[in-house]
Amino acid sequence: MIPTDTLAAERITLAHRHLTVAKDLSVQLPPAKVTAIVGPNGCGKSTLLNGLARIHAPSSGTVLLNGKDIHRLPTKEVARKLALLPQENTAPEGLTVGDLVRFGRQPHQGWMTPWSEGDQRAFDHAVTAADVGYLINRPLDTLSGGQRQRAWIAMAVAQETPLLLLDEPTSALDLGHQIEVFELIRHLSGQGKTVAMVVHDLASACRYADHMVAMKQGVIIEEGAPAQIVSPALVQELYGVSCDLIHDPATGSPLLINVRRHIQKR
Amino acid sequence: MHRYPFTMPDQRTLVANLVLLVLAGAAVMTSLSMGTVQIAPAEVIRALTGTTDDPMAAFVINELRLGRVMAGLLSGAALALAGCLMQTLARNRLATPGIIGIDNAATAFAVASVVGTGIALAPSAMALAGAATATVLAFGLAGANGTRGYRFIVAGLGIGAIAGAVTQVMLSQVAIDDANAAYPWTVGSLNARTPESVQLLALGLAVGCLALMCLSRAVNSLQFSDPVAITLGIKLKRTRLLGLGLSVLMTGLAVSVCGPVGLVALLAPELARSLCRPGKVPLTASALAGAGFMVVADLLGRTLFSPLEIPVGIITAIVGSPYLLWILLRPSTRSLT
Repeated sequence: MIPTDTLAAERITLAHRHLTVAKDLSVQLPPAKVTAIVGPNGCGKSTLLNGLARIHAPSSGTVLLNGKDIHRLPTKEVARKLALLPQENTAPEGLTVGDLVRFGRQPHQGWMTPWSEGDQRAFDHAVTAADVGYLINRPLDTLSGGQRQRAWIAMAVAQETPLLLLDEPTSALDLGHQIEVFELIRHLSGQGKTVAMVVHDLASACRYADHMVAMKQGVIIEEGAPAQIVSPALVQELYGVSCDLIHDPATGSPLLINVRRHIQKR
Repeated sequence: MHRYPFTMPDQRTLVANLVLLVLAGAAVMTSLSMGTVQIAPAEVIRALTGTTDDPMAAFVINELRLGRVMAGLLSGAALALAGCLMQTLARNRLATPGIIGIDNAATAFAVASVVGTGIALAPSAMALAGAATATVLAFGLAGANGTRGYRFIVAGLGIGAIAGAVTQVMLSQVAIDDANAAYPWTVGSLNARTPESVQLLALGLAVGCLALMCLSRAVNSLQFSDPVAITLGIKLKRTRLLGLGLSVLMTGLAVSVCGPVGLVALLAPELARSLCRPGKVPLTASALAGAGFMVVADLLGRTLFSPLEIPVGIITAIVGSPYLLWILLRPSTRSLT
């Protein structure tokens, strides 16, 4: 897959009703790379991701998909370019994993177009990649949190979009499944997909992302390769905690150690 | 490799639809043959195909019973379809037109034209206007969240109560003859229908079914949250607006034929859902179940205490209310939200 599709935000301001959550943000997702959006709770990470995915229309500024205003493009065309896995998901009662993943093919199907060979291939690939093959006939409401999350990831993968946005894809997962999902994300970006994800765990972000966007109070305060931008000062500014920084001997990615929060006396 | 056996269309749903179709057909045949004069099914078929030698049977079937059964079939299907659609749009199984006051408002408007308040519009038009008014009001009161959440339902409940009260006030103020003429409207009956309103309903239902065929994929995606539906490329606003419009159209036209037989819209989709494969909105099955249910309820109303006739709305209420209580009171309430 040759990365040709680009997604960028140009000076977007995002508001919930009258409350501005993110102001004047400009980001460009590096093609075929993994971008991690990090920051404290309520800093506007998810809002930015939803803005990029056209779920949340900006009150000013534009989101550009291949240089064109995403809100002016036909929504189905966008759906073939960009998939989003939201943070919280509800599915119809009794829906099976197979049927859920099948919904991911919807943007590629026309009116009354039956399931094609291509659809089946994408389906099989997504199911294998997210390792939900053995769950295919199970209703979602009978699965564990981790299994359910992987089923949703499979649906997004089945959409076969060059751009993939994930909102805390590993939040419900145990360590093993977290690693599995991050490796899947690396694998997908290796195939040429552009990925952006909101991640809470700074260590995972450092380890698995090529590019990092650090946000605080609705503003991007730092952006760049994790190894270059993550520093005790940044951690202090983002989370209000002190720490020391070492590098993982195996991978070279930054690791936070001796993390502590000074309780301020009022 | 995990191959997934997809069957198109899905087998379980297909079988469910066939079973419901056969049941509805059986209900129609039974309803045509039973009444004050019993007519054998074979004779019913001869009368329908115009090959009978018995002018009496031909008259009873074609002139007296057929119109009523057709009215029941059409209004049952329309109400159930409207119910299933609105439940999906609102993502709440209680959000049927009957519960959120659309039936009551349509009735109040229709009664206003029947009791001679000086509004001379046909009951069909009035019922439609009432249904639309209630929906717009429920939307307005629910605020920016639209069909989401319980606010829509609470607003609808209030509107329904007001509309019901308005109907009662009108009935208490007019001459007894007018009140009698309007009575079937208040309980739901297939007695007060006019041929024009049935024809309009048939037309509206045909338009609705065609539109829903085009919308079915989008409607299915609305079972997910808004972000997921948008991600899948659904035009959310357009689908909601069209779906709500169709729901209002079918409810209004059905109410102009049979009055507020609201519980059909709640029961039929529920039955359809339990029969069909989960995860898809069972539009076809709901329509078939609603049609059959209405015909059976009307048949029971006509024959149980014959010659005394019980309006179909009372029968559906007797059958439906315990069911409504059951969904409200059963331990798992996750299906309600």
